[in-house]
Amino acid sequence: MSNQKNNRRDFLKLTAVGVAVVAGTRAIQGTGASSNTPKGKHQWAMVIDQSKCTGCNYCTLACQANNDVNPEIQWNKVVEDGMVGGKQIYVPRPCMHCEKAPCVEVCPVKASYYRDDGIVMMDYDRCIGCRYCQVACPYEARSFNWEKFEGNNPAVPEWGTPSVERRPRGVPEKCSFCYQNIDRGLALGLTPGVDREASPACVAACPTSARMFGDLNDPESNVSKALQNNPHYRLRENLGTGPRVYYLPAIAEKMEA
Amino acid sequence: MLKNLRSRFVITPWVIWLGFLGVILLAGLVSGILVFWKGLSITNLTDLVPWGLWITIDLSSIALAAGAFSLCAGVYLFGLKRYQPIARTATFVGLIGYTMAMLALILDIGRPDRFWHAMIYWNTHSLLWEVTMCVILYLTVLVLESMPIIANLEWLQKRFPKIAAKMSHVHHYAPFLAIIGLGLSSLHQSSLGATYGVIKARPFWFKPEMSVLFMLSAIVGGISLTLFATMLASRLTRKAKVNDALIERVAQFVGYLLIGYFYFRAWDALATSYTYDPGRTEGLHLITKGPLAFNFWVGEMLLGMLIPMILLLYKPTRQNRFWRMVALFLVAAGVVAFRWDTNISGLLILMPYVPGQAITYTSYLPSLIEILAGAAIIAYGLTAFSLGVKYLRVVDHSLIEEEHATVNVKATEPVRAV
Repeated sequence: MSNQKNNRRDFLKLTAVGVAVVAGTRAIQGTGASSNTPKGKHQWAMVIDQSKCTGCNYCTLACQANNDVNPEIQWNKVVEDGMVGGKQIYVPRPCMHCEKAPCVEVCPVKASYYRDDGIVMMDYDRCIGCRYCQVACPYEARSFNWEKFEGNNPAVPEWGTPSVERRPRGVPEKCSFCYQNIDRGLALGLTPGVDREASPACVAACPTSARMFGDLNDPESNVSKALQNNPHYRLRENLGTGPRVYYLPAIAEKMEA
Repeated sequence: MLKNLRSRFVITPWVIWLGFLGVILLAGLVSGILVFWKGLSITNLTDLVPWGLWITIDLSSIALAAGAFSLCAGVYLFGLKRYQPIARTATFVGLIGYTMAMLALILDIGRPDRFWHAMIYWNTHSLLWEVTMCVILYLTVLVLESMPIIANLEWLQKRFPKIAAKMSHVHHYAPFLAIIGLGLSSLHQSSLGATYGVIKARPFWFKPEMSVLFMLSAIVGGISLTLFATMLASRLTRKAKVNDALIERVAQFVGYLLIGYFYFRAWDALATSYTYDPGRTEGLHLITKGPLAFNFWVGEMLLGMLIPMILLLYKPTRQNRFWRMVALFLVAAGVVAFRWDTNISGLLILMPYVPGQAITYTSYLPSLIEILAGAAIIAYGLTAFSLGVKYLRVVDHSLIEEEHATVNVKATEPVRAV
């Protein structure tokens, strides 16, 4: 009989320890990471006008300098699209910062997460390097650090100065909408998308102003207006990922000679 | 005593076998160190094909370890007690399989120093998180289930008889462990399929039946590998004593399971383009006419299912030990082919994100480092099983029959080494 009591007590103890461990891990993981679709004050978005893009690749170079990206990796890739009015058109492809991002959903450790303002972020210190996010991304927006990026960055200083740390070997990396520029800009009272210093490097560097950046929550922002006044599309929209990068399709009359 | 000692240094087939495995293990160890030192850049993995040979080994080890949960469930939950000796072997094979999977994963992840993050930072949306947790918990169950087997170590029994007795005692909890094992295995065996099945970016994977296929193929392949290993051990050493009637009955069951697996896999693959989703027809092309065609038609369908199905359901070949062994081996190999095809097919099809562009293909062949390290993982499994047979009586159907004297089965002659 006493033996049975002991057993029950042991069982209760064990259960209590189990609950404590679960509660503990839940408390630890409550550090900033969120896997719910964000609803913050700002909702950043990018609009790319294909009529204006000339495929010059300045955006890619500025990105590589500003984010100190290995020259073998491109966070922003300019891909050839078809012809319109006898001219080559392009699809510049940053990270789409999806509203329902497959990478965030599949990451086993919440190293990919949403910020309140919609930016899909990477916690490079938490990532275990399993590459499930790469497999899941519909846009090939993620690049793995197969080796450590050492030595000089050829895009520096011509195209800008690095404003974030280099990523370590063994984790995938991707475009972050230059969150560092946005955060610093907001702290200084600037408006991302309007003020160059507060905008993503690719937007600031574009010589033809093909890229617009701004807040979808603000109906007066350039991105909100551009989307109201123009036909637009998003990449692989049928997947339901809800990209925050919109494209204005190339129209022959709007393209300069 | 002296004679015994001297005989240990004689070059026997056993020593040659261990030496052979040792060479592979050494080569793999060097490759593994190189991977940790130089990073994954020395593999042939790319941003387009980030999962390759090691992931296939990982998936296959877990699948072929499924004999443990299926047979334990059969013996301890569904009351098929006479198959307990086979479940015992299956448990040990399972333990080896899961540790092999762990080895493959440690090699494959970019930050092996952070492998424990999945236990601390939970993303309950992630299939891989669920799989990781289940695998860790199930490995614990397997260690507990293997306690009575490890207690057979002669040295342990002599040196620490009390500990050995305690370890044997865990056997009493076998039914409870079987329930937990069944739950955890059902979860992660199918979730490994769902890991691929939820990826909507890759239409060739994106389908609910992926989970069911992984589960079914794991049960078929896992039981087959256990039976094959048991029979092979009994052919090669006197240490393994088997009851051939038991094996034959389970082998027949595998034959029937194969019909279901064949029907489901064939239907699933060949009907894949019915949805007209872009990417699916290309996938079908890849496995039926493209670079994976041989694997699919010969490896999976013909050798992996049809031939063993006939061999196991046709009585004369099933009763013939050689043909039964051939059949069981082919089934296990066919499941490995299925895992390889599944993993690689979805990665080789490049879905364009620019509207209107054509679907293209990429290619992947493992590098020497990947092959050497992969071979060493397999060699580790073979070493562990060989040692288990020799020192832990892992394959010993007479051992259990003594313990369970009430079991109502016609005992046949233990098979002697040829």
